[in-house]
Amino acid sequence: MSAGFLLIHAKPSRSAVLVLSWFLFAAGILAYLYAASARHRDNPEDRVTPTIAQMAKGMYDAALKPAEEDEAGEEATTLPKRFLGSMLWKDTKASAWRFGVSMALLFPAVILGLHMGLFPYVGAFFLRFVLFFDKIVALSLLPILFIAFGIDELSKIMLIVVGVAPTILLDTFNLTRGVPPEQIVKAFTLGASDFDVAYRVVLKQIFPRVFNSIRLNLKAVVLFLFAGEMIASTDGLAYRIALLRRHMGMDVIIPYVLWVALLLFLVDLSMRRINQWLHPWFREA
Amino acid sequence: MRRLIVSLVLTSFFSFSALAEKPTFTVGWSIYAGWTPYYYMAKSGLMRKWADKYGVTIKVQRFDYAPSLDAFVAKNIDACTMTNMEALDMPSASGVPTTSIIVGDYSNGNDALLVRNGLTLKDLAGKKTLLVQKTVSEYLLDRAMTINGLRDELKKMQLVNTSDSDIATAFLSEKTPLGVVTWKPMVSQLLKQKGVSSLFNSSQIPGEIMDLTVVRTDVLERPDGSGQRFAKALAGAWYEMMAEMSASGPAADKTLASIAEGSQDTLASYREQLSTTKMFFTPKSAVDFSTAPDFKTKMALVRDFCFQHGLLGSNTKSADEVAIRYPDGTVLGKPDRVRLRFDLTYMQLAAQGKL
Repeated sequence: MSAGFLLIHAKPSRSAVLVLSWFLFAAGILAYLYAASARHRDNPEDRVTPTIAQMAKGMYDAALKPAEEDEAGEEATTLPKRFLGSMLWKDTKASAWRFGVSMALLFPAVILGLHMGLFPYVGAFFLRFVLFFDKIVALSLLPILFIAFGIDELSKIMLIVVGVAPTILLDTFNLTRGVPPEQIVKAFTLGASDFDVAYRVVLKQIFPRVFNSIRLNLKAVVLFLFAGEMIASTDGLAYRIALLRRHMGMDVIIPYVLWVALLLFLVDLSMRRINQWLHPWFREA
Repeated sequence: MRRLIVSLVLTSFFSFSALAEKPTFTVGWSIYAGWTPYYYMAKSGLMRKWADKYGVTIKVQRFDYAPSLDAFVAKNIDACTMTNMEALDMPSASGVPTTSIIVGDYSNGNDALLVRNGLTLKDLAGKKTLLVQKTVSEYLLDRAMTINGLRDELKKMQLVNTSDSDIATAFLSEKTPLGVVTWKPMVSQLLKQKGVSSLFNSSQIPGEIMDLTVVRTDVLERPDGSGQRFAKALAGAWYEMMAEMSASGPAADKTLASIAEGSQDTLASYREQLSTTKMFFTPKSAVDFSTAPDFKTKMALVRDFCFQHGLLGSNTKSADEVAIRYPDGTVLGKPDRVRLRFDLTYMQLAAQGKL
């Protein structure tokens, strides 16, 4: 058995891992820089592929200057104050609020899924419908959402909830069904009530996996959030991107997209940490 | 020696095929009353007839509006239909010099500001108004308020950026009184609803929202002259199309119905849209419009709007950096930074019957 290159038993050194893991980043950045400089040689005013300097300036303006629709108030002097009055912060706040509310609304779906999995009547009532509803493409329901919830915040949040909740529900349902029935029987013989079984035996042990499943759906949440903000809104990260697209403001769009990626990464990381902290016995993911 | 022969044969083969192959150009269009004729021109063989006459190949491709602009800016297509405003703030402001060769029409009521519950312009402050921001819709709103002396109210309005595909439902589903700025066919659809009335439309600013066919200037200036042949073929096909459209009688009806097909429209609905589109059916009318003294005032208004709204780019310090050259050769802005030109040559050739 050889321990050669590309084999299962290979043991790359620390530095090899370091180089390999950053290689695609470097290649991506280099490819971009090459394409951008080629385009700029051809057309110095090119806006499709801004240079690093242009993006830095775009981001600087976004992070320290108020949005154009806001009245330029008294000039804030300190850096944190300028940031708090900036376009980037305003958009981030608006999007984060929508994101937070819809994430909170996903937790009731967990409870419903648990009940569907444990209580046969609840399951009989909901399961078939949720299975059907899960396959509905939420975006195509938009006109109905507008009529039901208006064009303000509620319709955007509902778009996310309608789009993501069925997945969470069905996942919780499946995880609930996956709990060995012997455990439930045992709990009953030890004198547990129905709700003891539901919340203290089943929910307790599936929760880290449910939490994980919510975490893996972050991207879907953001996708629906962006769709909602691009369709009708007055602020938010995707609103700004939609607006900047109208005049090819890629010098701000690209930093915005990276900013969203960073925020998402941080949310993902903190959710993983919270899960570990809440359930130190949980060893998956 | 053998290698030399092979390479000689290969080069001669390639240069021969390059000679034999006609230069190919692509024109992009999107659905709008004044642009849908391109659908018919491609379908009926009119475009091919003129392309053959000038020894070029012309592909006609339908796009959604925004992607058509992106494709033009990315130099993926050679000619495109767009408004004067987008010609200025998309390709011209992105350093892609652009030449307008056909002034096809102007919006004469196609774009409108509608309200519910009998609101007036004055009432709009503090209320929601739905529109696709940073487009001609916002320009129309800006002009409506300015003309009525309400410019200061603009800042107090709550503009909701709404995608055009959902704007009609979004407006109808809101129970609160509010305004909307959009274009046909959404305008016609909304006006049919109870309690919706029009406060301002583009017929009150005639000629400010122009619909053009533009060509990249570098294509037009290709040394082999193929770009100019392409432009001549486009203009020739366009004005033959216009003559067919403006005729009367059953034949013209049939033509109009086939054009309407290009936007999945009925003849009646297409006629209704044309009634608020001032088509320049003859090349002479388009030339007269472009050489009228107020043409420059109109373009200057559009340019100032674009600059004030940052549409010329965040790095553009002055509106003069994206200069416009008018048909008479005068330049608005810095002469060394001409990005948008209005070239009447092809319309004039058509008017003189020299195409």
